[in-house]
Order: sequence, then C-alpha cells, then structure tokens
Amino acid sequence: MSYTALSRDKLRGLGANLFIYSIMGFVFIISVFPVIWVIMSAFKENSAILGNPFSLPKGFDFNPFIQVFTQYNFGLYTMNSLVIASAATIVSLLIYSMGAYSIAKFEFPGKTMLYLLFTLTLLVPPHTKAQPIFTLVNRLGFSDTRFGLIFVYISFGMAITMFIMRITFMAIPRSLNEAAFMEGAGFWQVFWSINLPLAKTGLATSGIMMFLANWNEYFYALLLTSSPKVRTLPLALAFFTEAFSYDYTQMFAALTIVILPGIIMYILTQEQVQASVASSGVKG
Amino acid sequence: MTLNKLERKYVPFAYMFLIPTVAVFLLFYLVPIVTVFFTSFTRWDGFNAPTFNGITNYLRFFTQSSFLISLRNLLLWSLIAATLHVGFGVLVAFILYQRPKGWKAIRAVYMIPNIISSAAMAMIFRFMFNNDFGVLNGVIRLVNPSFQVNWFFESPWAFIAITLTWLFYGAIITLIVLGDLMNIPSYLHDAAKIDGATGLQAIVHIELPLCRYAIGTSIILSITSRIAMYEAIALTTRGGPGDDTMNIPIILMKAITDLNYGLANAAAVFMFVMGIVTLLVINRLFKMNDPVY
Repeated sequence: MSYTALSRDKLRGLGANLFIYSIMGFVFIISVFPVIWVIMSAFKENSAILGNPFSLPKGFDFNPFIQVFTQYNFGLYTMNSLVIASAATIVSLLIYSMGAYSIAKFEFPGKTMLYLLFTLTLLVPPHTKAQPIFTLVNRLGFSDTRFGLIFVYISFGMAITMFIMRITFMAIPRSLNEAAFMEGAGFWQVFWSINLPLAKTGLATSGIMMFLANWNEYFYALLLTSSPKVRTLPLALAFFTEAFSYDYTQMFAALTIVILPGIIMYILTQEQVQASVASSGVKG
Repeated sequence: MTLNKLERKYVPFAYMFLIPTVAVFLLFYLVPIVTVFFTSFTRWDGFNAPTFNGITNYLRFFTQSSFLISLRNLLLWSLIAATLHVGFGVLVAFILYQRPKGWKAIRAVYMIPNIISSAAMAMIFRFMFNNDFGVLNGVIRLVNPSFQVNWFFESPWAFIAITLTWLFYGAIITLIVLGDLMNIPSYLHDAAKIDGATGLQAIVHIELPLCRYAIGTSIILSITSRIAMYEAIALTTRGGPGDDTMNIPIILMKAITDLNYGLANAAAVFMFVMGIVTLLVINRLFKMNDPVY
C-alpha cells in the first residue's frame, strides 16, 4: 500500500516537473529565438536568407554593419537615444516617486481621486493626444530638439510608475516613518534616506521599464523631430528600411543595431535588479 | 489607514510632493484630453480655426464600415487578452514562484521581447511570418512540405498572425504577479502548512486571492494595450486584408493624415471611453480598492 502511494506521488512529481519545464522551455524559445534569428540573418547573404530560414551563417562578415554605421550615422542616433531616454527616466523617477510616496504613506482629502486620475492616464493611448502635444511643443519652441522629446517622454511612465512605486512604498512598514518622525527627522529626509533606499526594487523595475519605453519610442519621435541630428534609433530604423527594402542582410543588420543595445542594457541592469531584491531590507 | 499626530503634521508636505506629478498630469493629460474632447464636435483641419458641427464626426465614425469590424476585433482581442494572455502570464509566474532550476534565467529572458521596440518587433514578426523565408512556415513545412500561407496578407490568417504577435508575451504580467507572490508574508505559508494545506490548496486559497490586485492590474494593462495597439498592425497588415485586422488607432491615424482632426478626435474619445469602462469593470470585479492584507 505505502509502496504504491509513494510511486504515485513520484509519478505525480514527474508529471508536474515535465509540465513546468515544458512551459519554461516554451517561454525560453519564444523569447530568445527571434533575437538570435535576426542576428544570425544579419551575417547571411541575401540568397541564404531567402533559401533556408534555419541555415547558419557561413562566417562573420561585419561589412553590412559597417555600411549601416558609415552610410547612416547610426553612432549619432545611438547617442541621441541614450541621452534622451536617460534624462527623461531620471526626472520622471524622481517626480513620480515623490507623488507615489505621498499617496502611499499619508491620508488627505482628494488622495483617492488623485491616484485614480494618475492611473487613468494609462488608459489614454499616446496616439490620441498627438495633435494637442504637437501644438504644445511647438508653442514652447521645443520642436525638433532633444529637449522637446525629453519633455514629452517624462509624461509617459506616470501610471505604471505610480502603480509600482505606490505598492512598493506601501510594502515598507509604516512604523519606520512613525519612528523617524518621532526622532525629529524632516519630511524630505524620511523620504530620501529611509524610504527611497528601501524602495530600490520598485525604482529599478519602474526605471528600467520607463527607460526602455523611451529608448523604443517611435511615434512621438517621428511627430516632434525632423532633422537627422536629433533622430533616435527606432526612427532611423524606419527611414532605413524604407530605403533598403530589398537588401535583407542590411535590414537585419540595422534591426540588430537597434534591438541589441536595449537587450544588453537590460541584461546588465537585470543583474542589478536581482541584487537589489536580495539586498533590500523589505521582504514579505 | 489612520495617521498619528506627528504624521498628520506632515500632510502639507505630502501635498507639495504631489505638485510635480499634478503639473505633468495637467500639461500632458488633462489639457490635451479636454482639447481632444471639445474639438471632436468640430470640423477642424489643423490650419483653420475649428468650427462646431455637433455630432457629425461621431455619426461618421460609428457608421463607417471599418468601425464595426474594429469593434468586433477589439472585443475578441480583449477577451483573448483577459483570459489566455493574462492566464499564461500568471501561469508562468506561479511556475517561477516554485523556484524550479533556472527560474531566474527564464524570468530574465521572458522580458526580452518587451525590451524590443514595438516597431522593431513588428518588423521581426513580418519577417518571421514571411511565406518564403519565415521561420514559422519553415517549421510547419517540416511536417507539411506543401504548406503555403502568407500570414499577414491572407484571410483569416492575418487576424491570427496579429494575435500571435502578443499572445504569449506576458512578461509584465508575470513580473507583477510574481512580485505580489513574493511579498506574501511567510507566516501565511507556515500557517497553511500547519493546517495541512496541500500545494494546490495553498495556491487556490492563499496565493491567488492575495495577488488578485496584480491579476486585476494585468487584465487592465493587457486590455488597454489592445485598445491602443498600433505599430503591430500599422507595420504589418495595415488593417488588411480587406478590413480583417482593422482597429480604432488605424482609423484614427488615417483621419489625422486626411487632416480630419475632428473625426480623429471622435475616435480618440471613443478609445478613451473604452479604457475607462475597462478600468471600472475590472476594478469592481477584483475588489481592487479593498486592502489585500
């Protein structure tokens, strides 16, 4: 009796493991394969791309990449993307952390209403505000500048950062605030030196999400800039594919240039996120 | 939540901390939305001053043939998003929460498709679903060598192809739910174990209810993404074949390029209303205003 029960348990465990690892395998393939396929195709000749989607590249010919960089100034575009995305992310992290902190830690009239309004912004598809924002940026004289894009991108992460940071601050025990205020710490000090360091995980998560959204933004970059000197990478990719719609090798090379920095940056910061999860003082 | 006396003293500072967020909200959300709302009742080409024309834009918007198809697509996509898409993201979260070997790597890797810009992702899918050199048909032809489908350009495959560009990419859902799962106090697990709960019972009675906020949030996020889906369609099917994959942002953008700002803003108002309805319904269904603990 006990022997059969044991083997049934074992069998069930085996089945559960099989299920778990096939889902994990599926997630791995759908997440990694498209990227590897794009990079691999950038090293294949046009005829090889058209011949067999699974064929391996014969060698590593970097000429398509060099051509994309030299003919299309992708170095400058990379720099533009980097500067614009970082500046907008840092400013919005500060602004929305302050807002989320007030909402998570204090009680005052209008609080629920404000939080509802801020999170409602998520329901405003960016495209719907195109015309008013275009007019606003023009009137302020920011059109076709990096600053104009930074200015607009600051507004994008509001809802998600509010979501994440409010939950993060709520998870920090309120007794910390009570004790700190009791000891005579100031409002800013309690926020900056006690709560923000404990909110590292939330800051990292929302910061990375905002940075990547800014890094990838296409529509407003197209709408608000015109000259190549302020052009960002996704926009450059679109211009490029229009010009080279039949040269698949170069197209895959351009795609690689656009997607790879984001992925590398993510992999680097991902380690930081995991480290901060491990080191942060707050865990359920 | 009740504040103690000392904390109450700091409420004015809490208001001050909200000023920058409120300023961004006014400048980039409230004023533009009000503008969009009022000009949706006008004839406006962006050059001349808008002139009031009542509900003409709305009548034109609701009666054009592509609207009904867009609405059908939106409802279908929202249903798929709220069930299969969120379900898959939650399933992955619960699997990773068991901490199987390699769970950190999978959590990290799953975000990669979300890292790639939707414009670049649309191009990648256009290539992967290409009939001649795409990997999807390459795989299918291993089984059925005569298989020929031009996914983005044939009915009814185009609708399925667009759905496949997002269906299994639920990394944000997984992250949100996993975050909530990991915040569950360990004493709750200990208590459940002492009471003799099995793994499945713990999931159903403790873990699922405790991350209902995360699941509700995920459903809201995924439905609003369907309302706003643009690049994945504009850079692949452009709403075709016929009007098969038409959606409201495509109608809106066409109205903008036609310099019919009134009609575009009527479409925008409709999208906005759909979003609010989604938020209110899901918020109510998942009791998201009640405290979790």
